[in-house]
Amino acid sequence: MIAYFTNLASLGAIFCILAATLNVAVGYAGIFSVAHAVFFGLGAYAGAQVSLLLIPDALVAMVVAALVAGALSLCLALPALRVRGEYFVAASLGLQMMAVTLFSEAKTLTGGIGGLTGIPRPHILGVEVSTLPVALAALALILLATALLMRGSFGRTLQAIRDGESAAEALGKNVAAAKALAVAFACAGAGVAGALFAMHMQFVNVESFNLDQSVLIMAMVIIGGTGTLWGPLVGAVILLSLPAGLAFMPFIPSTEVGAVQQIIYGLAMTLLMVFRPAGLVGDLSRGKSHA
Amino acid sequence: MSEPLLVCEGLSRSFGGVKAVAGVSLSLTAGMVTALVGPNGAGKTTCFNLITGNLRADAGSALLRGQSIMGLKPHRVARMGVARSFQDLRLFTHMSVRDNVRAATETSAWFWQPGGAAARKAREAAAEEALARTGLTALAEARAIDLAYAERKFLSMARILAARADIWLLDEPASGLDLSSRRRFGELLKEARRQGVAICLIEHNLDVVTELADRIAFLDQGQVLAEGDPQTILRDPKLAAIYFGDREDAA
Repeated sequence: MIAYFTNLASLGAIFCILAATLNVAVGYAGIFSVAHAVFFGLGAYAGAQVSLLLIPDALVAMVVAALVAGALSLCLALPALRVRGEYFVAASLGLQMMAVTLFSEAKTLTGGIGGLTGIPRPHILGVEVSTLPVALAALALILLATALLMRGSFGRTLQAIRDGESAAEALGKNVAAAKALAVAFACAGAGVAGALFAMHMQFVNVESFNLDQSVLIMAMVIIGGTGTLWGPLVGAVILLSLPAGLAFMPFIPSTEVGAVQQIIYGLAMTLLMVFRPAGLVGDLSRGKSHA
Repeated sequence: MSEPLLVCEGLSRSFGGVKAVAGVSLSLTAGMVTALVGPNGAGKTTCFNLITGNLRADAGSALLRGQSIMGLKPHRVARMGVARSFQDLRLFTHMSVRDNVRAATETSAWFWQPGGAAARKAREAAAEEALARTGLTALAEARAIDLAYAERKFLSMARILAARADIWLLDEPASGLDLSSRRRFGELLKEARRQGVAICLIEHNLDVVTELADRIAFLDQGQVLAEGDPQTILRDPKLAAIYFGDREDAA
């Protein structure tokens, strides 16, 4: 039972990182990406390869994963960031679909459909460690960095862009550069989560980085509350606990848990958008119309 | 009279077959208020968009202190000292009033602003001064979206003040203001003029134009039909007929 909850908590911390970093793009900068799982995947494959081929050190794997995901996000996002709003959503959707195919086909790097197996458990300075404390430490660092950045001028710039891109430009803000930095920060964080995921599961394949995963991470952010520090964490904990909680409900047949889960997700999202459009932790007045 | 800060020559821009701006020439001088007056659709806001880089001109030139700003991105033009307001204000609605104004003092897109503690103090001072001059200090922690209409208008002006630009392009800044707010707005503009700011104003309220403008450029169908002092332009019956939509009288 302890192992079950430790596993759940480790995955919870990893998904909290994913939700918290996507929130930098979605909640603060207003960049709605449905391709966060792509950078989660890039980090996972990079971290896995570092552990398999070089050294099974969690810190090295996370740094390499962050660099790979962050750098590739710039290459991929810069052209896409030229478009706004729903056009960017469409562009990120295209990227997500393309990436799944590439992950499946680039067998040398990703192991193809079968994925990469036998990934060593995380080590720090040669000592094997549990994923949970490493993931929690990474989450704490990412949250601290996010809080510091968002309270400073960079946070103001992103929020200004979110609320009025042309007005932000008219005040001298290089919107493209600020957006690219926000995306790079968010994707580097997703890379860190990916490396932790690979070392924790000791196996990764493309199934973990598909569109469903991106939508799940987006749902965590929206349900918890965009543009808040803690909201995405609340969303991640709720959405990850839901399947685990449903599995313990004796009146739901185990074969139907998936279907019930989907109904609850859909219902929760609909009710939230009606009654708390800014999410569970979000500012109540946001998202509602102002006369 | 001093040299103009901004000189535009023959600015033109078409959208499909419609000539929104057709060969507009305009100059803005330090310490002078120029009003762009004309009926709706005359091309006034398009002129602003061409100067600030929000739209690319099909033809023409714009020189800021002798340097071309044609083709520059809007943030580059802003950093060279051209600030603008928008007809629909475009406030950062979910940020506090103070953060709206602070954002106007910070131009670097990086994780930090250059200049260290001294520059930070100067930015803070500029923001607080802008809040004080616009009477928004008491509302500094309120969110922009929660402000009343007149306060929103003044917040838009506070951002421009904090940006420390020497050219202001103001798109209908006094529309919808009551008499007392309009007076406060007028004082703000007169003070900026005394400090040497070159101001260009799009305004439909002719009382405001008469009170504040040193010069008027009358635009219609993308062209400057007349330019001169307010008394001459506003008393011209042909221009009045065009302004009030009676083109037969104008002909």
